[in-house]
Amino acid sequence: MKKVYGVILLVIGIAVLVSAICLYGRDEKLNQYQGQFFDCFDTVTTITGYAGSQEEFSEKMDLLKQKLLHYHQLYDIYHTYSGINNLKTINDAAGVEAVKVEPEIMELLKLGKEMYEQTKGEFQIAYGSVLSLWHDYREQGMAKPNQAKLPAKEELSKRAQHTEMGAVVLDETASTVYLTDKEMSLDVGGIGKGYAVQRLAEYARELGMEHVLISVGGNVSAVGAKIDQKPWRVGVENPDQDSLEPYLCTVDMVDQSIVTSGDYQRYYEVDGKRYCHIIDPHTNMPPEYFASVSVLAKDSGRADALSTALFNMEFEEGLSLVESLEDVEAMWIGKDGEIRSSSGWKADEKK
Amino acid sequence: MVKSAPPADGRPMKKNDLILIAALLAVALLAYAGVSLYSKVSTNKAEAVVYQQGKEQGRYRLSENTVVEISLENGDYNILQIREGQAEITEASCPDKTCVRHRPISRQGESLVCLPNQMAVEIENGADSGIDGATD
Repeated sequence: MKKVYGVILLVIGIAVLVSAICLYGRDEKLNQYQGQFFDCFDTVTTITGYAGSQEEFSEKMDLLKQKLLHYHQLYDIYHTYSGINNLKTINDAAGVEAVKVEPEIMELLKLGKEMYEQTKGEFQIAYGSVLSLWHDYREQGMAKPNQAKLPAKEELSKRAQHTEMGAVVLDETASTVYLTDKEMSLDVGGIGKGYAVQRLAEYARELGMEHVLISVGGNVSAVGAKIDQKPWRVGVENPDQDSLEPYLCTVDMVDQSIVTSGDYQRYYEVDGKRYCHIIDPHTNMPPEYFASVSVLAKDSGRADALSTALFNMEFEEGLSLVESLEDVEAMWIGKDGEIRSSSGWKADEKK
Repeated sequence: MVKSAPPADGRPMKKNDLILIAALLAVALLAYAGVSLYSKVSTNKAEAVVYQQGKEQGRYRLSENTVVEISLENGDYNILQIREGQAEITEASCPDKTCVRHRPISRQGESLVCLPNQMAVEIENGADSGIDGATD
């Protein structure tokens, strides 16, 4: 009978081993958490990370949310908040006086000016006067689609006269911003969110989070890799919203950011034609080159500005800009679905 | 009748050997059944989870066809339809209708978002889609 006991022991041993392996794997999975909120940058924020418990993760989520909310308020051009000078404060004081600002605004505007130079004006932060006109027509057109109209060409060019970057005066020693042109206004829609995501990723690291994926309305930034050292895998949305295939390809990311600019989410239609929310500073009209452009870069703020700029540029011109920059890759999706990419773009095409 | 051949060392097969084989077979079978049952359960468990302002409001299995009205106190609403394992917004009070235009979702981590109504539908407990996030 000794042999029978041996067999039983062997079987128990195998069973214990198998369940230990299963449980170990499952434990690791259980430690991944995801949180979501709507309060920032008029979009949905999703944060994926790891923690020992839901409580621990929620605590960190609250801190991250507070931080992002702070950036949201600073970069808001529609509302003022008591006790802080934000972009609306600066816009309201245009032609009147310099406004004292926090470093988060100064740094953003400095990057904005740099990206303006780098993209030869295809990306513009002092373009608020034109963008606000389009914004109003889009809102009205969405509310009453059968009465949707385009802004008049004359009005657009009149407003475009008040978009000189030189009129944005940054005084770093005094920490002030002054718009010398009364008719001008700042709009950081094409960089503020990305810049905030970058700062949020850095803040997450300060909180001791080494493996985080942050997505603020499709501005995605990876802190480190996943906990198993595999890269974060991010899908690039298929601009064709009728297609059943949600992603055109996936990109693997470690300590990188990706931002997409597209014409398929925010737009309105006039006489059956689509007019998206991105406006080319050189024509004052929505560009019609692509359905979307995605930019992969180390810095989310730069990626955000570049994706907007590339959306406004012809492919060849945009490609040579991307190739001239280090650690920046891009993918262009044409209105017909054609996919083109820069030389270092590495993605898995979805089957 | 042919008797089963004795093992190479000449010892006849004993009852205990049979028990060993039977036990190993049983373990293998159990493990196989467990794994296949687990994966079956996990694909059937996929749910569309409705969030309003980040708070969970309801869970609906993708395996059961249903139509749900997700409404806000101010009268705004989204209609969620689950049909043949897919969730989609068929109607909404929002001005942009981005949620209505979005393709039906069924895979883990996919979502339908309505910003004006601060509403999101996410697929949870679904089969792993292999994707951690999305850029749009």
